[in-house]
Amino acid sequence: MQAVIALLIFPGGLCVLLLGLAYEWLDRKLMAQMQNRVGPRWYQPVADLVKLLAKQETMPNGVNPLLFIGLPLVGLASVLTAALYVPLVGLAPSYSFRGDLIVTIYLLGLLTFCMSLAGSNTLDRFSLMGALRALTQLFSYEVPFLLALLGPALAAGSWQIAEISAYAETHWLILTQPLGFVVALIGLMGKLELSPFDAPEAETEIVAGALTEYSGRGLALFHLSRDVALVVGLTLVAAFYLGGMANPLWFFGKTLLLLLVVSGLQALFARLRIDQTVGLWWRYGMLLVLLQWLLMIVWR
Amino acid sequence: MRLEELWEQLEARLATWGRTHSPWAVHFNSGSCNGCDIEILATITPRYDLERFGVKIQGSPRHADILVCTGPVTRQARERLLRIYEQMPSPKFVLAVGTCAISGGVFQGCYNVVGRVDAVIPVDMYVPGCPPRPEAIIDGILKLLEKAQAEGVAT
Ligand code: SF4
Repeated sequence: MQAVIALLIFPGGLCVLLLGLAYEWLDRKLMAQMQNRVGPRWYQPVADLVKLLAKQETMPNGVNPLLFIGLPLVGLASVLTAALYVPLVGLAPSYSFRGDLIVTIYLLGLLTFCMSLAGSNTLDRFSLMGALRALTQLFSYEVPFLLALLGPALAAGSWQIAEISAYAETHWLILTQPLGFVVALIGLMGKLELSPFDAPEAETEIVAGALTEYSGRGLALFHLSRDVALVVGLTLVAAFYLGGMANPLWFFGKTLLLLLVVSGLQALFARLRIDQTVGLWWRYGMLLVLLQWLLMIVWR
Repeated sequence: MRLEELWEQLEARLATWGRTHSPWAVHFNSGSCNGCDIEILATITPRYDLERFGVKIQGSPRHADILVCTGPVTRQARERLLRIYEQMPSPKFVLAVGTCAISGGVFQGCYNVVGRVDAVIPVDMYVPGCPPRPEAIIDGILKLLEKAQAEGVAT
């Protein structure tokens, strides 16, 4: 019984979805405030979701229907599963085993993969282009992001999220691994395809990227999974670098602080070209993480 | 039976609420002189901030609820306008912006022009002006939403 509740209502399932919608609203509102606008109303993400769910879903010619319908579901399922392994709202993760950090990162990557597959499933050249860019970007940020999250794992001597966050409770890793923190946070933005790294869905160039042909339910599910991924990512970074698990209110404050930084960066920078994104990650991101690792090894 | 009816009613109400509170728009120029398009761009700047009403400009017609049309329909653009309209998933609405979109305006009777927008696709709301001010466009969108609310969106 308890397992079902943890899976469907709290802290997994429904709670994560609502949290995701709330964070999306906050992100948009903060962006709007930074651009001197009023911004969306507080129920905006819910209204968007309801509308998309109630809309007609058109399946274009030439797609594989199974993939077209299945991919959004797999994407959402993967991020919802990932949410079970992270200390949501500062509580201990519902499920935990050795090496779940790798599984969580893999599950987050699966969402990007699903979107790219969804894009290449259609005959439309814009979605193909978007899928191509999303995959290119995946290969550039994934390695630095992974290494940045492995830094705390190395310090804690464990690959289990629960243990790492327990270790981080007594050691604020942002102080000992500042470079890793920066790369992890910016890697998260790359993962979520937020503003400077939104070349895969650049609406001025390739309409809407991989999701161009999606309407109605599929689009709603993809949007929802993106929101959940935002929550999971912020939780991971906050738990690893900003003092591990804590009481929910305090933890909330930390993730909100991270969100503030993320939306600030989004408002600050213009979109990077895809080759610039790749260059940034492999030239600077990678170098920073390796430097961090070197420092850690020397320090020991 | 009663319960089912109630449920259906609730569903319909929720859907209408969603539609009227999250109108995503796609903008298409079917032959305008660009005056109206500049005003539309001005409308989505921070100064007028359409996101207050949940309006988001989308690139893809598949994501949009409102087709914002400017200018008369030229013979060349007719096919494209129809195609974009067909690509939008229903329920969909069309907002005709500018005198040309309403009547053909100064381009009326030109050899290369089909005419007003509602000669090609059904239009739900008209915003007059040459070009209309951003305030007028916002007003048009809000009136359109009111209309959709009143209709309960039967489409
Ligand atoms: S209404 Fe005026 S501004 Fe708009 S397209 Fe026609 S001539 Fe241009």
